[in-house]
Amino acid sequence: MILHLPLAELEVGQHLYWRIGNLNLHGQVFISSWIVIGALLAVVVLGTRRMERDPKGLQNLLEFLWDYIRDLARDQIGEKAYRDWLPFIGTLFLFIFVSNWGGALIPWKLIHLPSGELGAPTADINTTIALALLVSLAYFYAGLSRKGLRYFEYYVEPTPIMLPFKIVEDFTKPLSLSFRLFGNILADELVVAVLAFLVPLVVPLPAMFLGLFTSAIQALIFATLAAYYIGEAVHESHH
Amino acid sequence: MFSLHSLVLANHGFSINTNILDTNIINLAIVVGVLVWFLRGFLGGILQRRREAVLADLRDAEQRLAEATTALAAAQKELTQAQATAQTILSDGRTRAQSIREQGEQRTIAEMARVQQDAQANLAAEAARVSEALRLETARAAVAKALEAMPGRLDDAAQARIIDRSLDALG
Repeated sequence: MILHLPLAELEVGQHLYWRIGNLNLHGQVFISSWIVIGALLAVVVLGTRRMERDPKGLQNLLEFLWDYIRDLARDQIGEKAYRDWLPFIGTLFLFIFVSNWGGALIPWKLIHLPSGELGAPTADINTTIALALLVSLAYFYAGLSRKGLRYFEYYVEPTPIMLPFKIVEDFTKPLSLSFRLFGNILADELVVAVLAFLVPLVVPLPAMFLGLFTSAIQALIFATLAAYYIGEAVHESHH
Repeated sequence: MFSLHSLVLANHGFSINTNILDTNIINLAIVVGVLVWFLRGFLGGILQRRREAVLADLRDAEQRLAEATTALAAAQKELTQAQATAQTILSDGRTRAQSIREQGEQRTIAEMARVQQDAQANLAAEAARVSEALRLETARAAVAKALEAMPGRLDDAAQARIIDRSLDALG
């Protein structure tokens, strides 16, 4: 879809395709994902290389983040099982958060691609669906590994009438997770792009700050809901 | 499978976009600047407080460790003293028990000797009493027998003979 306006061009839905076998990959998502992953790894490695008793600078920041994620996971999953899922929840939160903020703060348009443009990896539906399906797998695995086949009792609690709703929930959970994140981030990028394209200076600023805020909230929501679903699966109801 | 050719074809055309308005670079610079200023105040404050809390916790823990070490040393000293006292009490007790046992033994021996002596004395007294009684009884029996036999045998001639013999004995 290309908008034909007299001033300039705005491209939406253009991708940098990489073909591997029969697969068409969105190359720009991979590039920005690698940059995000590299940045995260670099920060973590740098921050934990010389750890001291006195938490200074990066180490302090990482410890603060760890505390934050641990509190989030413990609140949602519960004291008994949260340690197993802390790395997963933390990875989700940090990857989505850095993706969102990276998409909003890094001047990606300095790099001109032959097709499509760089941006937040989470503005691509493939990324968010992959993350949401991982969450689905995670909560199924969490429930089955902790309770065995008794996990399926959850579908008929408190009454068997709930069975169809709970089955539908298994489909709506990843759907809502992926679409919420994708929609928010893509909408934010589009709003900023359209405003910047109409009035290049100052006017996009409020939208950009709002975008930073919603981006952070979306990362928090995704991680919290993932933890909540896992907590729901491992929760031992009155036995 | 992996078509390098198409990959290269797809990727040719990377370049740097130098259009300042098109890249939105001015707005991004403003946003990053404001964000850095805000985070330095907000997040920096949080991190500073966190660091101070951690350091205070560490100091507290170290102080408690030092106090605990001192208390441990004092308690160990007291333990040593108490053990020494206990040892003294034990050896004193042993000595006293030994002396009490010896005293007891000696007293028992003395008591036994006294009891034996008493018993012998009693025996002797009883024997004396019995032999006295026997003698009295015998004497009484002899006198009775004599008195019984007397009227038959003591006639005038016999009396005269006795008196004569007594006179002879006197003479």
